[in-house]
Amino acid sequence: METMNKTAPILEAVNLSKKYEDGMLALNNVSFEVKPGEIFSMLGGNGAGKTTTINIFLNLLEPTSGEAKINGIVTHESPLEAKKNVAFLSENVMLYPEFTALQNIDFFVKLGGKLNYTKSDYQKVLKRVGLQTEAHEKKLKGFSKGMRQKCGIAIAILKDAPAILLDEPTSGLDPKAGHEFVKLLADLRDEGKAILMSTHDIFRAKEISDYVGIMNKGSLVMKKSRAELQGENLEQLYVQFMAGYMDTVA
Amino acid sequence: MFSILIKKELIAILQNPKFITTFAVSSFLIILSVLIGINEYKNNLAQYDTGISLAKSKIEESRSWHSINAIAYRKPDPMQIFVSGVNNDIGRFSNVSRQGEVKLQNSSYSDDPVFAIFRNIDFAFIMTIVLSLFAIMFTYNAVNGEKEDGTLRLLFSNSISRAEFIASKVVGAWLGLVVPLLIPISISFLLIISFDINFRFFDWSRVLTLAFVSITYFTFFIIFGILVSSITKSSSTSFLLLLTFWIITVFIIPRVGVIAAGQIIRIPSHAEIESQLDAFSKDSWKNYTTQLSKTWNERRLQMEGMSESEKAMYEDDNSWGWMQTDDKLRKINEENITDYSRKLFEGYKNNRIELRKLALTLSRFSPASAYQLAAMNMASTDIALKVRYEDAIQLYKEKILSHASQKAETDGDSFGLRISMDSEKGISVEGGRDQNMLDTSELPQFAEPSYTFAQIFEPTIIDISILFILSIACFGLSVYRFSKFDLR
Ligand SMILES: Nc1ncnc2c1ncn2[C@@H]1O[C@H](COP(=O)(O)OP(=O)(O)O)[C@@H](O)[C@H]1O
Ligand SMILES: [Mg+2]
Repeated sequence: METMNKTAPILEAVNLSKKYEDGMLALNNVSFEVKPGEIFSMLGGNGAGKTTTINIFLNLLEPTSGEAKINGIVTHESPLEAKKNVAFLSENVMLYPEFTALQNIDFFVKLGGKLNYTKSDYQKVLKRVGLQTEAHEKKLKGFSKGMRQKCGIAIAILKDAPAILLDEPTSGLDPKAGHEFVKLLADLRDEGKAILMSTHDIFRAKEISDYVGIMNKGSLVMKKSRAELQGENLEQLYVQFMAGYMDTVA
Repeated sequence: MFSILIKKELIAILQNPKFITTFAVSSFLIILSVLIGINEYKNNLAQYDTGISLAKSKIEESRSWHSINAIAYRKPDPMQIFVSGVNNDIGRFSNVSRQGEVKLQNSSYSDDPVFAIFRNIDFAFIMTIVLSLFAIMFTYNAVNGEKEDGTLRLLFSNSISRAEFIASKVVGAWLGLVVPLLIPISISFLLIISFDINFRFFDWSRVLTLAFVSITYFTFFIIFGILVSSITKSSSTSFLLLLTFWIITVFIIPRVGVIAAGQIIRIPSHAEIESQLDAFSKDSWKNYTTQLSKTWNERRLQMEGMSESEKAMYEDDNSWGWMQTDDKLRKINEENITDYSRKLFEGYKNNRIELRKLALTLSRFSPASAYQLAAMNMASTDIALKVRYEDAIQLYKEKILSHASQKAETDGDSFGLRISMDSEKGISVEGGRDQNMLDTSELPQFAEPSYTFAQIFEPTIIDISILFILSIACFGLSVYRFSKFDLR
């Protein structure tokens, strides 16, 4: 832990705020950082601001104030530079329906700047994420959500970027797939990736995260390390913070 | 990065089941149209050759320089294979004689009206209508389709700029659609060579320019499709919008342009002009008669009080002068009428030219018309073809008639008899059907209107520029609009 704290963060949110055009304050002064070899989980219900945060990191949205940095690069200032350092997996991975799994992977991985992989490299990773061999050459349009998710993870792994952003990656996966996914994520962390994951799955968050942040109505209301969470009941904490919020609203 | 995006676009197009069908259909149509065009051109050429020899024998049969009767034939242009334009609408020949007006007659459509209904399906037609539709079919969902598929987010989680993305859409679609199109076009060129069509360097320059303009037109629709797909949210909306635009630009604006021009410049019909002329000449002749009877009255008054013999003498002395005066008056009157008629028809012609110009200007708002105008110019089957030919034939008529008059004076022309003087044989008078009555070998030949490449290219510049400017503007606009596109 000591040595880790000295290394520079890969992902950094600095007083991030986002107000949508309709006046909705989706993010309110959110700050956190994720260092190499860490998993940070944003825990929160629907509408908490998790996707908004990730969208700002990907420069799909401009922050109203504050900044998101990847590898020290402010995403809304140099988005192309910043995005070289990040892989992304969305809640519902969408790929080209008319392309095969391998065609999709080849395209997105090359787009991610990795030009030297061979087909067998792709197949190895697809095997690692658990996509059955028969599906490799099949068009995406027949794929289940779980299969698409596996392709998405394969792309993220192959892009081999220092940071990985995951937006509710396990939602909609069956328990077995969810478990396998968490194992994979642990491997990636051990390879030294900085991982930011949004989720509303308390158990998975506790199981794997180095830091957990609870988001509510656009604010990061709690942030605790794995050590701090030791012996605490995260579920209770979560409910407590939500309730606390409810109290202040009431 | 850019090449990866383009490669993906290419794969998407080539893997699209629509692609093979549209490629097959458009190739088939283009090649078929060229084969039909070649066949028609050869027929036209044969018809032309027959016509020429017919006209020649007709001239040789002429018996008098005064009644010389020539026929000028419109020479088929090999470019009509690709762009028939007005070729079938205007006449194939005109009689050239002292009495008749120069007027092209017997168009293919007047011979066979059924073809007028279905028109000609030529290369330009296929480009205008079929390929523009295909361009739309492949691009209507280029951008919003990716948003609908949800692939935009993952795509833009990479180091891709928005402009790069739009450019890759344009270049990808261009390569995927235009390059295959070069195959049937090349086959058409091979057909031209293998069917032994007399294509000179001039014709090759024209047909290559035509191919260039066609590709520019096609490119416009590709870019326009991408523009619309980047400013609409759903692909069904963009498809409907594009289809509407396509109908308007291909079918409506070209016609509305002509109708609107007709409303703006009202020109009297040919019949109205003729009745105007008729009224004027009736009037002048009436004036002439009143004036004539007035002079006669004056003359009668001058003779009043004279005896019969004095009158006879006076008349004898003056009748020559009177005759000349009367004749002069008649001639002036005739000249007035000719003058008026010339002015009237010139004005009519100028009005028509103005109308045509305005109609063309208005219809140029449609890229389809701009393309068609450029194509017809390149093939010299444009609307002005008739005027160009009739002017050339008019010139020919003047030449031939002045030659005939000259010949009639030097060789003599006594209604089918030739009187020749020879120092040894003395005066001889020849005549009779079996003999070659007139030496027509020196008669001027009809010269078809001819143009240089620069001459036909010049009026095409505006249309090519319109297509270029529209394409670039659409590209710029889609890059601009996409910079504001919600990628989430
Ligand atoms: N384009 C938008 N315009 C206005 N409000 C939005 C927009 N996108 C999201 N929001 C609102 O912002 C809040 C946060 O949304 P989001 O970040 O998607 O939450 P989460 O991913 O945690 O469920 C929600 O209340 C949502 O309704
Ligand atoms: Mg969300």
